[in-house]
Amino acid sequence: MAIFSFRSFRTRLLVFLLALMIPVLLGIYIFVNRENNQYTTDTIDSYLELGADVFDFTREEHKNTLLTITSTMTRDWGFRNAFGTGDPYTIIDAADNILLRSLGAADMMLIASMDGDVIIDTKIQGFESLEGEWRDLMDAAASDINGIGDAIINIAGVPYQITVIPLFLPTPVAWIFGGFPLDNRFTDTVKQSIVSDVSIVEFAFEQGQQLSSVNVIASTLHEDDQGQLAAQLQRSGISYSGTQRINLADGEYGTLMRPLFGEQGDPLQTVAVIQKSYNENYENLEAFQRVLLQFYLVVIAISLLVVVLLARSVTRPILDLAKRVKRIEEGDYGQSVQVAGRDEISQLAGSVNKMATGLAEKEKVRDLLGKVVSHEIAEELLSKTIELGGEEKIVSVLFADIKGFTALCESAAPEAVLTLLNRYLSAITKVIEDNHGVVDKYTGDSVMALFGAPLTRPNDAQNAVQAALDIQQCMVQLNKIHREEGTGLMEAGIGVHTGLVVAGNLGSQNRLNYTVIGDSVNLSARLEGLTRIYNTANIVSAACVQHAPDFAYRELDLVQVAGKSEPVRIYEAVGPKSTITNQQQQELHAFADALVAYRAQRWDEATQKFEQLQLTIAESARGNSLYSVYLERMTYLPKRELPPDWNGVFAFNRK
Amino acid sequence: MGFARLLSIRPSPTWAVFLFLAINSASVNAAQLRIALQDANTGQAVADAVLEVHIPVAMQGDFSAQREYSVDQIEKEFVANVTVVNVGSRVFFPNSDDILHHVYSFSPAKVFELPLYGNGRSIDFSQIFDQTGVVELGCNIHDWMLGYVYVAETTLAIKTDENGQAVLDGVPEGTYTVSVWHPRATEGSPELQHSVEFSDAEPSTLRLAVNLARDSRLRRAPNVSRTRYR
Repeated sequence: MAIFSFRSFRTRLLVFLLALMIPVLLGIYIFVNRENNQYTTDTIDSYLELGADVFDFTREEHKNTLLTITSTMTRDWGFRNAFGTGDPYTIIDAADNILLRSLGAADMMLIASMDGDVIIDTKIQGFESLEGEWRDLMDAAASDINGIGDAIINIAGVPYQITVIPLFLPTPVAWIFGGFPLDNRFTDTVKQSIVSDVSIVEFAFEQGQQLSSVNVIASTLHEDDQGQLAAQLQRSGISYSGTQRINLADGEYGTLMRPLFGEQGDPLQTVAVIQKSYNENYENLEAFQRVLLQFYLVVIAISLLVVVLLARSVTRPILDLAKRVKRIEEGDYGQSVQVAGRDEISQLAGSVNKMATGLAEKEKVRDLLGKVVSHEIAEELLSKTIELGGEEKIVSVLFADIKGFTALCESAAPEAVLTLLNRYLSAITKVIEDNHGVVDKYTGDSVMALFGAPLTRPNDAQNAVQAALDIQQCMVQLNKIHREEGTGLMEAGIGVHTGLVVAGNLGSQNRLNYTVIGDSVNLSARLEGLTRIYNTANIVSAACVQHAPDFAYRELDLVQVAGKSEPVRIYEAVGPKSTITNQQQQELHAFADALVAYRAQRWDEATQKFEQLQLTIAESARGNSLYSVYLERMTYLPKRELPPDWNGVFAFNRK
Repeated sequence: MGFARLLSIRPSPTWAVFLFLAINSASVNAAQLRIALQDANTGQAVADAVLEVHIPVAMQGDFSAQREYSVDQIEKEFVANVTVVNVGSRVFFPNSDDILHHVYSFSPAKVFELPLYGNGRSIDFSQIFDQTGVVELGCNIHDWMLGYVYVAETTLAIKTDENGQAVLDGVPEGTYTVSVWHPRATEGSPELQHSVEFSDAEPSTLRLAVNLARDSRLRRAPNVSRTRYR
C-alpha cells in the first residue's frame, strides 16, 4: 500500500468495501439503465409500428366504410331515381343527402360520367372533366375487376381519402367518388386506438427536390408542438426508415412516418406521422432509477454500518492491544488485556499478555542485574548470549577497602555501620563509574573494580589510578561529614594492578557471575592489603605505573607477595604530574635517596635519611608513617645476615 | 354534359298495328343474312349480339309488324337476357319467381319502372317500346339482374345464338348497313358497322370478329338461391 496509506483499519475496510461495491452497483445501474432504455426504445418502436399499422388499418376501414356508403346509398332507389332525372341540382342534393346519412363517415362526393365528365361535385372544385389524380384514380378503377379504386387526393390543401365505385343503373353509368378528410377528427379517432399522437404533414418540394415548406395539416398534438414538429421535419425531411427522435415541448418523441400522398419526386408529398412520447416510459424509468438508487443507498448504508461494526469489533481489541503494547513500551506491564473469543486477535492478546509477563520478569531481572552487577556488566550480559567461559584481556583491577573497618563495626550500632558503609560504597562506586570503571563486586567494606572489562578503553590504567586518587579525595569529603556527625573517621586502602586476566561468566549454567580471575586480581588484592603495612592510601604495581605514566609516583618497595615468586615493584600514586609541588618533589627525591641507601645496606645513612623525612610530617603521624616502616626494618635488618644477592626485596609470606 | 344527352328522353312516334301483315308478306322471297360472330381476342363464339339491317325509312313500313314479346324473370335473372323487338312492340315482363321484382330502366329509349310486383298479380306489367335504342333493364331488388331490350327500327334484326350464329331471312335485295351490337362491344367502333349487299340468289354471309370489353355486370348475391328467409 504505497499509494494509499490508511490511518485506520476501519477506513481501509470502508474504502475496500466501497471500491468493491460501487463498481458493482454502478455496473448494475448502467446495465439496468441500458436495458431499460433499450426496452423503452423497443416499446416505443413497437408502439409506433403498431400505431402506423393501426393508422393504415383505420384508414382502410374508413375507406371500406366509404365504399360501403357510396355503394349502398347510391343503389338506393331514391338516388337512382334522382340520378335518373338527369338534373344536376337534384343529383347534388341527393349526394349531400347521402353524406348526411353517412353520419360524417363520408365528407364529399363527386359523380362523373364513365368518360370522366364531372356531373356533380359537393366540394365544387370547379373542374368540368376529371384531371390529375382524379383521372388517374378513375383509370385505375376502370381497370379493376370490380371497378373500385382508392387514393389520397388533396382537396383545398386537405388530404382526402377518396374511393371510387361505379354507379349501376343497372349497368355502370357513372363514377361515384366518395371521400373523407384525413383531418383532426380522423387523427383523433386514430389516437383513441393507438394512444399515440398522429399528425398529417404535407411536405412541399421545390424543383430540384429542395424541401420548401412543411405544413402540419392535422394533428393530435398541441399547436405549439405542431409548429415544433414542422420545424424539426423541415430539417430532417421525409424518412420512412425507422423511428426518429424529435423533441417537442414536453420532451422527446419517437416518430415514425408513413406515406399517404405523393411519391418521391412529387412536388407535394403528404405523410402520416405517428408519435409517441418517451416521457411516460422515462418517468417509469426515473421512478425505477429512484427506487434503485434508494435501494443502493440502503444497501450501502447497511454495508457501511456492518463494516463499521465489524471494524470496531476488530479494531477495538486491536486498539486495546496497541494501548497495552504502548504501555508495555513505556514499561508498564500491568493490566492485562482481556479479549473474548478464540480468534486471531484473542490469541494475539494472549500472546501480548504473556509477552508482557515475560518482559516484566526480564525487566525485573535487568533492574536487579543493574543493581547487583554494575551497569556495564549488566549491559554486557544482556547484549550477548550468556555462556560460560571468558576471554583473556589486559585489565586494571582496583581494590579498595576501609582500613580498620572491623574496629569501626565494633564501636558502632549495626544500623549506623550500614548507613556509613552504604554512603561510603555509594560514593566510591560513583567515583569508579565516573572514571569508567566497573564495580565487580562488594565484599563487606571492600570493593573490587575493573578498568578494561567488559569494555576495553585505551586508558584503562590511567583511569584506574585516577579513580584511586579520586577515592582518596572522596574520603576526605566523607570524613568532613563524619567529623560533623561525630562518627569515626575512615581511611581507604587502595590497590591497583594492571595485568592479564580472564574475563567472563563464571559459575554454573543457572547461576553465573561476570567477573575476572587471574593472578592480577590476587595481586591487586595483595597491594590493597599492603597499604596497611606501608601506611599509604594506595599502592600501584609497576605494571600499572607503566600504563599510566601521567602521574607522579613514589617507589615504595620491591616486594614478594605470597604465592608469587617474581618480586613486584610497588609505587604510591601521589597525583597527576602537573599538580606536584616542589616540596612534594623534594620529599620524593629524599625518599628515593633514602631507599637507595637502604637497598645498598647503608643502614646508618638510610636511617638518618628516613628520620629526616620523619621530621617533615606531623608528630602524631610519625609513629604510623611510611618512613616509620623503613626505620623499623632497620632496627632488625642490620642484625640479620642477609644473603649476598639481597636486593632489597621484602617478602610477605602472609596472605 | 355528355351524360345529360344520354338521359334526354324524346317523345316516340306510335306505329300503326295494321302494317304488320303487309311487311310480313312482302318478305317471303327475300335475301338471307347468315352471321357468325366471334370474339376478336379469344376466338370464342359471341352469343347475344344483335345484328340489325338498316333499310331506308321508306322501306321500313314493310318491316314494322307490331308483335308482343315477353322478358321473363326466372331465378332472379331476365330471360332472355337480350330480347330484340322492333319499334312499337309491347313487351311483357312476367315474374316467374316467387319473390317480388322491381323492374326499371333509365335508358333514354325507354324510361320506366314496374314497382314491386309478383307472379299472379293482376297488374299490367307490359311496356310499349316506341323508340329505337337499347333499353337496359334492372331490378331494384336484385342489382345484378341485367337484361337488354334491343328496340330495332324494323323486324330486320336478330341476335346470335350460343354458337355466335344467326340467320336472318326476308332481307330485301340491295345494299344496306348492318350494325352489330353487343353489351360489351364499344359503341361506335367501325367494326360494328358493315355495308352488306343482299341478293335473293344467295345468302349474304357476315363473319365478324368483335372486340369485347370486360364484363362489368354485377355479380349475383351469394345466397340468391335460398329457400328460407329466416
